[in-house]
Amino acid sequence: MSWQNGAREATPLLGGYIPVAISFGMVAVQAGFSVWQSILISTLIYAGASQFLFVAMVAAGAPWGLVVVMTLLINARHVVYGPSIAPWLPKSRWWPFLSHGLTDQIFALALSRLPQLPAEQRLGWYSGAMLLAWFSWVAGTAAGAIAGEELSRHWPLLGEIMPFALPALFLVLLAPRFTSRTWSIALGATIAVAMLLTLYGFTNASIPLAAASGALCFYLAKLTIRAGGYRNG
Amino acid sequence: MDNGFWLALLLVSAGTLGMRFLPLLWMQRHLLKQKSQGGLASIPGWLSVLGPLMIAAMLGVSLVPATADWSTWLATLLGALSAFMVWLWTKSLGWPVLAGVSSYGLVILLVRISTGG
Repeated sequence: MSWQNGAREATPLLGGYIPVAISFGMVAVQAGFSVWQSILISTLIYAGASQFLFVAMVAAGAPWGLVVVMTLLINARHVVYGPSIAPWLPKSRWWPFLSHGLTDQIFALALSRLPQLPAEQRLGWYSGAMLLAWFSWVAGTAAGAIAGEELSRHWPLLGEIMPFALPALFLVLLAPRFTSRTWSIALGATIAVAMLLTLYGFTNASIPLAAASGALCFYLAKLTIRAGGYRNG
Repeated sequence: MDNGFWLALLLVSAGTLGMRFLPLLWMQRHLLKQKSQGGLASIPGWLSVLGPLMIAAMLGVSLVPATADWSTWLATLLGALSAFMVWLWTKSLGWPVLAGVSSYGLVILLVRISTGG
């Protein structure tokens, strides 16, 4: 069954999703949101970084208009995800719902796996992966909002260790892309810029900025290699 | 929480869904149009470059430890190396992630035990 395959291949995501969702549930309740409100935020917005910002800004008493604008700005990177995987997605009336689950991680997984799957299995695969990730995020938030402090008292290291599943997964998804000098330069530069921006505290802007720098490197490297080829040839 | 919360939640949810769904819908229609005109249905070149670079950026962001000190950097380095080595060996998704998390966790545990933390 293709949806089972999707759910199975999305399982490594849970190591990253559940501990972060538990933290979000705890933070939201501490900021004055009720358990139900915290769960609703995770169910409806379903975008990690922007949810933390939403809660922090509300707790700090920021105007609602500013909360909406800032939260949407952080999520603006999502506009390139759908078009990037569109060639491998069949038409379906379920897309208005299914695209709700197009997070950073599901996009990364889908971009790597969908081209390898037969066309008739893609919708099922995506649905299984997306639903598992979404449910784990909502369930993790509920657990954090209801019993977050107790969970972190019982398993203090688990929340620190399990999120490493995300960089490990991204690494595995990216490794087959180092296929040429141009790609290696662009990917290496993107990783380095993203790490630097994160280290200097620009975590929210680092994904689009690093990807844009990487694209610049890609086209510059391509031009340089082509120019070198003409000189030698 | 006042009514502002519900309105903000609604706007952010609808806006985020729109940013995920509308570009997808637009590209699906664009590809169908290309196909119906007898052309080869393909996405713009810059978009196929940007996709893998977004994953690389996510990797860069997630590699930086939440509490950055020598032990978490060492754990990150060894965790990433283990994941990569197991990927070279198995070319699968799950096993490299398991190996990466195990190595990362082992280093953190050993450092905690040796420093009595």
